[in-house]
Amino acid sequence: MSSAEVTLFDDEFLKKLEYLNIMSKRLFTGQMRAKRRTKKRGTGLEFADYRSYVSGDDFRHLDWKAYLRLNRLILKLFEEEQDLPIYFFVDSSQSMNFGRPAKLDYARRVAAALCYIGLANLDRVNIISFADGVKDELPPQKGKGRIFKIFRFLSDAAPSGKTNSKASFRAYCTKARRRGLAVVVSDFLDHEGFESGLDVLRHFRHDIFVIHIASHEEIDPQLTGELQLVDSESNVAREITVTPSLIAAYKAEFARYCESIENYCLKYQLGYVRTTTDFPFEELVLNVFRQGRFLK
Amino acid sequence: MRFMALTQLQALLLAAVTAGTVIGLYFLKVRHRRVFISSSMLWQRVLDEHVKHSLRERLRRIISIALAVVIALLIAMSLGRPQIEWLTGRTQRIAIVLDTSPSMNAKTADGTTRWQHAVARARDLIDGAGPAAELRIADTSGETAFPFTTDRTEARSNLDMLSPEGTEPQFPMLDMRNSTVYLISDGVGLRDVPDSARRISVFEPAENVAITAFEVRPVPVNPLGYEAWLEVHNYGKAANVKLTITGSAKDNITRDLRLRANDAFKELLDLSGFQGGTVTARIETSNDALAADNVAFAYLPIKRRTKTLLVTRGNNYLETLLKVNRYVDLQSTTPDKYRESPDIDAYVFDRFAPPTAPPKPAFVVGAAAVNWLRTPQGEVRKPSITTWADNHPLMQYVPVHDISIERAAKIDASNLTVIAASNDTPLIVASEKPRWVMLTFDLNSSDFALQTGFPVFVENVLAWFNREQLAVRRPPGEIEIPLANAEVRTADGKAVASSTQLGSTVFHTNEPGLYIATAGDARLPIAVNLTNPDLSNINRSALKENTAPVRTTSWLHNELWVYMVLAALILISVEWFTYHRRITL
Repeated sequence: MSSAEVTLFDDEFLKKLEYLNIMSKRLFTGQMRAKRRTKKRGTGLEFADYRSYVSGDDFRHLDWKAYLRLNRLILKLFEEEQDLPIYFFVDSSQSMNFGRPAKLDYARRVAAALCYIGLANLDRVNIISFADGVKDELPPQKGKGRIFKIFRFLSDAAPSGKTNSKASFRAYCTKARRRGLAVVVSDFLDHEGFESGLDVLRHFRHDIFVIHIASHEEIDPQLTGELQLVDSESNVAREITVTPSLIAAYKAEFARYCESIENYCLKYQLGYVRTTTDFPFEELVLNVFRQGRFLK
Repeated sequence: MRFMALTQLQALLLAAVTAGTVIGLYFLKVRHRRVFISSSMLWQRVLDEHVKHSLRERLRRIISIALAVVIALLIAMSLGRPQIEWLTGRTQRIAIVLDTSPSMNAKTADGTTRWQHAVARARDLIDGAGPAAELRIADTSGETAFPFTTDRTEARSNLDMLSPEGTEPQFPMLDMRNSTVYLISDGVGLRDVPDSARRISVFEPAENVAITAFEVRPVPVNPLGYEAWLEVHNYGKAANVKLTITGSAKDNITRDLRLRANDAFKELLDLSGFQGGTVTARIETSNDALAADNVAFAYLPIKRRTKTLLVTRGNNYLETLLKVNRYVDLQSTTPDKYRESPDIDAYVFDRFAPPTAPPKPAFVVGAAAVNWLRTPQGEVRKPSITTWADNHPLMQYVPVHDISIERAAKIDASNLTVIAASNDTPLIVASEKPRWVMLTFDLNSSDFALQTGFPVFVENVLAWFNREQLAVRRPPGEIEIPLANAEVRTADGKAVASSTQLGSTVFHTNEPGLYIATAGDARLPIAVNLTNPDLSNINRSALKENTAPVRTTSWLHNELWVYMVLAALILISVEWFTYHRRITL
C-alpha cells in the first residue's frame, strides 16, 4: 500500500465506510431489496406479473390455480435479478490538484466510499480516471473484498492533463458498455464545456449522477494586487490587476457556472450534488444516498 | 508663471525631466506575482467581460498616470518657487530701512514718537506686500540687517527687535539693484541716502532744547582747576530753560535762560570749586520732545602733583618741560647716581634704563637692552609713523603724523600696546603691568620734542601713570575703550555687559551717562553724551517723502509653492486611498 493510499484510506476511513454501508441499508430498508433488479423479466424468484400463455412458453410457469378459477392459461412472470454496472468517472486532470485539501483527494475519498457501497451491494463497479481522455480504468469489480484494489487504483490516479470530458466519456462509452449508473466526480472546469461530456453519457442512456467538487479558494479567491495568473492545466499566464470589482465579477461568474451545471442536471433529471473540499465527505455521501439514485 | 529660483528654461527642463521620469517609471514592467489557479476558464470569461469595459480601464490608467505626473510636477515645480501674479501678487524683494537715530525718539503731537510712526508704516509695508514678496528689515545703526524672508511673522518680529540707537545714522549697504528699498525716517542727521531709495517720512515739527556740548578740561592758568564748555541750543520756539550743573558733592551751578527760537547759550563754566567725580549738566524746559539730549555727563579727576625722577645725562627738552609742568615735582639725577626711592611717583629714563624695573611707572626715552623692557633687535632708518592709537589716553590731543625720526630701534612688541608705529617697528609702546611707556627712538634723533604735541604727550604719560584722567567722550551706541578685559559699570555701580575685541573693551549703551571701566589698577571714566547738534536739531529734516506704501492685492497669503506642496500631499493621500481600493493602478 502506497503512502498516499495509507493517508487517504486509513483505518478511520474504513470505519467511516462501514458506517456509510449501515446507513445506506437503514435509509432504504422497507422500500426494496438491497440488491438491484432490472426491468427485464427472467428466471428470478421474485414474482413480477401475469400474461396469457402463448405457444412455446415454459409450462413450468403456468399458474394452474388461475386456470381452475378463470379457465384460461395464464403464465406467471418473474423478475430476473441482474447486477447493475456503476461507472465512476473520476476527474484526475491537473485542475483537480488544487485546493486544500486537493479536489482530487476529496474525489478519491468520495469515489472510494461510493465504490464500497456498490461493492457491498454486489454491483459491478467500474472506475475510470480521466482528464483529456481515459487515463486509466479498473475492470469491473464485485464484492467488498475488492475494495483494496479500488483504493490502490484511486491512489495511483495522479493529477495531470487538461480536462476534456467529452473526449473522455466518448472514448469510454463507445466500447459497447452496458447501460448503468454513471457517477461523474469532477470540478467541471472543462474548456470544451461540461454539457458536451454529460451529453455523451446521456446519449448512451446511462443513469447519471453528478458530484461537483469545488475548492474554497475557487469560490472565494483571496487575491490582491498586480498578479500573473497561471492556469495549472495549460500553464497559460495572464496578468491582471485584482480589484474588488474584479473579484466580485469572478465570484458571480463562478456562481453562475455552478448554477448552469445544476440547471443542466435538473433539466435532464440527473442527480447533482455540489460540495467543497472542506465539507466532510461522509456527509456528502449521505446526501448522495438521500437523492435516491445511487441505491435502488 | 514666473519662477524665483529657476529660469524659464530650467523650469521647462525640470518639468520635462520629471514628467518623463514618472511616465517612464510608470511604464516600467513591474514583475507580477505569479499565482497558480486551477483553471483560467472562469477568469478568462470575467476578464473578457472586463475588456468590454476597457474604456473605464483605460480611464483608470490615464487617471493613475496623470495623478502621478501631477504629483511629481507639483513637487518639482515648487522647488522653483513659482509665482503667478494674479494669485500671489507681484514678485518683489523689499528692503525696509528704519532710521534708528536718536531723533526718532522725538515725541509727536499724538503723544507717540516718530519711531512708533515709523514702525506702523513699516508694518503697513509688510502687510501690503504680496505673499510672493521677500522682505528684509534693516536699520541705520550699521549693525542690523536681517536677511530676506517671505515669512511675514518673522519680518514683523525682526521689526520689533529694532529701536532707536544713540549713534549717528548711516544708510546701510544694501543691494539696490534687485530690490525695492524703502527708507522710513524723520530725515534728521541722515546723509547719503541713495536716490533709488523710496522715502517715507515720519517727520513732524517738534520743540527741542538740547545740550549740544559739555566738555570738562583743565584750566591752563590753574593746573589744579577745571572748566567746562557748555552749549545749549533751542531748536524750537522761544523757551525758558533751567540749566543745572551738579557735582559729586553739593556743588552746583544753576542758570535760568531765555532762549529764542534757534538761539544758543554757550558758556565756559568754572568748575574749580567742584570736588572730583561725576559732573552732570541738565536742562529743564516745558514741552520738550526729545529727552536724550537734556542731560550730559563729565568727570572731574582729582588732581595732585606727581613726584618725578628724571634720570638723564642731560636733556634740555625734557628737563625744561618737566620743570615748567605745574603738576610735576621734579628731581633729576644721572644714570650712575640713580637709586630707587620710595617717595617717587614716576620715573623718566632718558637713554638709560636700570637693570631692574623701578617700583613705580617709568617713561623710557630710547630703547635699552634690559630685561624688563624689550631688547632692541636692530635699527630702522627714517621710520615714518603710519599707525597710531587715536583712542588711547596717551594720544589725546597729540598729533604724531608729521613727526620726523632719524632712526629707531627695532623691537618685538608682542604683549605690548602699540601706541604709534611705522611699517617696520613700533615707535611708541606701552606696558600695562608693570606700567611703563617707551619711545624706541631718541629725542635727539627726532623732532618730536619740538612738536607742539610733545608736552601734551608727556603730560598724558604722567597722567596715565599716576593721575586720574578726564573722561573719554563717546556718543551712545557701540563704545570702544582702550582697555583690554575691562569691567564696565555705570556711575552708580551697575555692571554693563562688555566684551574684549582686539585689545579693547566694547560695550553698548543708548543711555547717556558716566561709565567707569576698570582693568586691574587702570581706571577709565567714559562720558556718554548725545551732544550732537546734527541729531538734536530734530526740525531739520532733509527727507522728502516720495512714495506711499503700496498694498498688493492677492488671493493667496503665502508663496505658491506652499500650496503646491499641500496639493501634492492631498493628491498623494487620494492616490494612496484609491490605489488600495484598486480604483487607480
